Amino acid sequence: MTFLFDSFQSAILLVISLDREIISIVSVSLKLSSTSTLIASLVGIPLGFYIAFESFPGKRMTITCLNTLLALPTVVIGLFVYSLIARKGFLGSLDLLYTQKAIIIGQTILIVPLVTTLIIAAISRIDERYRKTAMTLGANRFQTALVIFREARFGIVAAVIAAYGRVISEIGISMMLGGNARGFTRTITTAMALEYDKGQFTLAVALGIILLGISFGINLLFHFFQGRTRI
Amino acid sequence: MLYSINGLTKTYHNRTVLDIPSLHIERGGIHALLGPNGAGKTTLLNILGFLESPSTGDIVYESKVVQFYESYLQDLRKTVVLIDQQPILFSTSVYKNVEFGLKVRKIPKKDRPGIVKEALDLVGMEQFLNAPANTLSSGETQRVAIAQALAVLPNVLLCDEPTSSVDIENQVKILNILKQINKDKKITVIFTTHDRFQAAFLAQHTLFLDHGQLTTAGYENRYTAFLTQKDNQQIHCRIQDSIDLLIPLHQIGSNTGKAQVMIDPEKVSLCHRDDISMNSACWEGRVVQITDEKDNIRIIIDLGVWISMVMLRSTYQKSYLLVGERVYIQIPPSSIRIV
Repeated sequence: MTFLFDSFQSAILLVISLDREIISIVSVSLKLSSTSTLIASLVGIPLGFYIAFESFPGKRMTITCLNTLLALPTVVIGLFVYSLIARKGFLGSLDLLYTQKAIIIGQTILIVPLVTTLIIAAISRIDERYRKTAMTLGANRFQTALVIFREARFGIVAAVIAAYGRVISEIGISMMLGGNARGFTRTITTAMALEYDKGQFTLAVALGIILLGISFGINLLFHFFQGRTRI
Repeated sequence: MLYSINGLTKTYHNRTVLDIPSLHIERGGIHALLGPNGAGKTTLLNILGFLESPSTGDIVYESKVVQFYESYLQDLRKTVVLIDQQPILFSTSVYKNVEFGLKVRKIPKKDRPGIVKEALDLVGMEQFLNAPANTLSSGETQRVAIAQALAVLPNVLLCDEPTSSVDIENQVKILNILKQINKDKKITVIFTTHDRFQAAFLAQHTLFLDHGQLTTAGYENRYTAFLTQKDNQQIHCRIQDSIDLLIPLHQIGSNTGKAQVMIDPEKVSLCHRDDISMNSACWEGRVVQITDEKDNIRIIIDLGVWISMVMLRSTYQKSYLLVGERVYIQIPPSSIRIV
């Protein structure tokens, strides 16, 4: 108990002192998570919108596949992307392995299904009368889609926030594709795993506190936007 | 002619909800589409508003055959606006809601405030210009929805049960607004209702729709009857244990068993007490309601089942009928048909 208390106390002091190592790790984590969330949103929002808005053969099967992909373990994605970007892989010549780009690719694959399914859910909840009203007032398909987008805006923001929360806390992809290189691909979660291996709990606990703080902030935002959708 | 419909059907999952061989709607007036719930009124309105396509059949709109593909329909929708039974407003201000139609029509920004204010003024909602739309009551929402339509000055305004979700005070306001815009703006108004009094109050033309088909006698006087063959010439028709009628076989065919029958209210007439003993198609009942419907008077009589009859105003004036009085009526076999 004393050990935990001492680690926690030292970790708090480390966070307050704005340790350079911590700042570097947190910066890398935030940068990678933000980039992969941005790319996944650029793919997932239009895709989710299209699936929810349009009728096409195989729509139900597509949604089922997306829901299945939600349960995809990060190590499976790590392994899959590794097989593509390793020297002998299909994209080996691009020399992506153990770079930030590799982590971003893996994380994007992880959260595209999440963003897409949450967007489908957000759009599907929107009252059909909005579409009908826009159409009868003379809106074309694009203008009608914009109306739906506007009405679903809080659900869309909530989807992006949920995706961000998922990537910032993942470890499998970052470890397998990033290699945990100090100051370059070391993220909060990979650094915590390393410090744990070394038996250095102070930094691990400090990073844990920061990660919890970020997750708490994200969840606060998520609940704020989720609440707004019900208004 | 505004709309000419030929051989129109609409089928959902192998169930035909609309089957209209022919329908013509003239430009300029107020038309009521009267029928019970599930008659196909909303589906027909959606088709007239170019929001749904028919399964089969042709629609000629303003002398042009309607092509049911999206880009063609988008242009037509700019001339026809449909107001939903329970309209929904976009979650923004009342101003932006009314402005929406103008925006999609690329009306210059500087012209929009004046048009929006005028439209809101017409429906008595100008004081709500900057109010958030989601704070309005259902009656106010209905009026803003009418203003949304008015702002774009359509040729046709389609209203699905315009007063069904509002209180009495707002019902009168909305009906008067529809009357006024038809008169002042020359907008053809087509509205659905299951309230025949509302149709009589507002419409110059009334179409009756029942089970997806246009009917001539309206949807009232419709009963579940039991038919049995009496002899080679006649069918015995029993309506809810209250009315027994003999109908010539040639009139309704050899249908027997349970059936839906309809009694044409215009063919039901008054008779004398003495006729009851001589005429098997005469019954005694009690007047429960008398309604003024422009040239006609509608009387509801309780014979054990309620039956509606329509008579000319002049005939009614000679009859001196009052609510609660005993009355004798004749239901001729020719007034009955199987639905």
